[in-house]
Amino acid sequence: MSLITDRPVMLEMDKVALSFRAGKSSFDHGVHHVLKGVSFKLYENETLGIIGRNGVGKTTMLRIMAGILKPTSGRVTMRPGKTASLLSLGLGFKGDLSGRDNALLAAMLQGSTRKEARAFLQEIQDFSELGDSFEEPVKTYSSGMRARLGFTTALLTHVDILLIDEVLSVGDAHFKDKAQQAMQERICGQQTVVFVSHAEQQVKELCDRTIWIENGRIRNAGHTPTVLADYRKSLQANKPQPD
Amino acid sequence: MRITQYFRLVDIQARMILKADASKLTLGYLWWFLEPLMWVAVFYIVFNLILDAGARGSAEFLTFLACGKFAFIWFSKTVSQASNSIVAAQNLIGKINVPKSLFPMAVAHESLFRQCAVYPLLLVIVMLFGYPASPMWLWLLPVLVVYYLMIVACALVGSYLVCLVRDFSQFIQLGMTFLLFTSGIFWDVRALGSPEKTELILTLNPLAFILDAHRQVLMYQIPPDLAILGAIAVGAIVIIAAMELLMRYTSQYLALKVLT
Repeated sequence: MSLITDRPVMLEMDKVALSFRAGKSSFDHGVHHVLKGVSFKLYENETLGIIGRNGVGKTTMLRIMAGILKPTSGRVTMRPGKTASLLSLGLGFKGDLSGRDNALLAAMLQGSTRKEARAFLQEIQDFSELGDSFEEPVKTYSSGMRARLGFTTALLTHVDILLIDEVLSVGDAHFKDKAQQAMQERICGQQTVVFVSHAEQQVKELCDRTIWIENGRIRNAGHTPTVLADYRKSLQANKPQPD
Repeated sequence: MRITQYFRLVDIQARMILKADASKLTLGYLWWFLEPLMWVAVFYIVFNLILDAGARGSAEFLTFLACGKFAFIWFSKTVSQASNSIVAAQNLIGKINVPKSLFPMAVAHESLFRQCAVYPLLLVIVMLFGYPASPMWLWLLPVLVVYYLMIVACALVGSYLVCLVRDFSQFIQLGMTFLLFTSGIFWDVRALGSPEKTELILTLNPLAFILDAHRQVLMYQIPPDLAILGAIAVGAIVIIAAMELLMRYTSQYLALKVLT
């Protein structure tokens, strides 16, 4: 069996750093450093997990890979002709519009023509199990319903590199299973995936390799169970001790 | 992004803004007509009944106000709304790399739909107050095309500035009030008593020129000054092209500005 790292590289990040001025202060301590020199390679058809605590720069990394943000320094190279898209819940839903209109808008923003988007709508309505609520304004939806609509709309994206940000941890138990299964089908096929999650079990089940990010740097990278074990150990070590 | 997909997105976004707006208010689409009519009523009460400014007779003054205010609302509402449109799309911008000009363009496009309904009402008002329709009214078409270009140009500039520094949003509100008073909406730029001053305002303030052109065409059947109209069109096109390029070039910088 060939190693993942023998496969062709889809995307490479080379000493990527991102910082921005956070406050009004014009001095250097007003500058917020999110990523501080992150380097890694993403190989064809692999599923790469990214773990780390809140606010360490995971979402920023996905945004850089999706071309939404540009690194302050360093380089991101994507194989020519390939596309990457961020699969995230609720593509900026407008509360006053119906689920149907929002789904149409989201599908078109992801590159479909109006006709193609219309063809998706039935599929979205069925998979999301929203029934008649599909025609109601999204502002009347419960958070679970919004999540179902968001996940289903996002699932339709067809891109070479799928960047997934915390999408499987929503909805009720029944929908969560269904979502995970749908996601797994995508991952098992010819799909390169980067997966950000706090759910260790999911990372373990889905990811070939995992990167652990801490303070804007890669703390550990490699075989998923090893990285997860290290991560868990560090979390326990850093737990505040009772007085 | 391909240009066809870009315009498809502008169009669908504009339609969705229309739908969302109409569903928010009980009177829905009726507000398109009510708002300018109510403004005209307010101006009429203040300037004609209280201040006696409309010495020329109420019908003429009302038509004069209607032409000015209907046209001005198109500009002020679109530019104010478009200026905040990129910042307001924060959720979307954090998730997908789209051309940022899409948002102000969608607002401008939506306002175009709106005006397609509002302008016929203006024409009816003008006719009701004793200014019959005439073939000369066709001169309004080039005026409206240039006006639209001017609105798009201002919308793009406004949205870019607000994206860089949010405080510009306050300046733009103030700027709209300034333009309301300086563009000859409730006073006649041609009745200033000094032809040089009139000339100066019409040349320097494109908005005053466009509003005046509405009245000249609809009320007095006089075609607009094509040299000035042409100059405004060229200026607007240059600004639109420059802003499109700038927004494309700084797309990710704008995203960072919006998200942080």
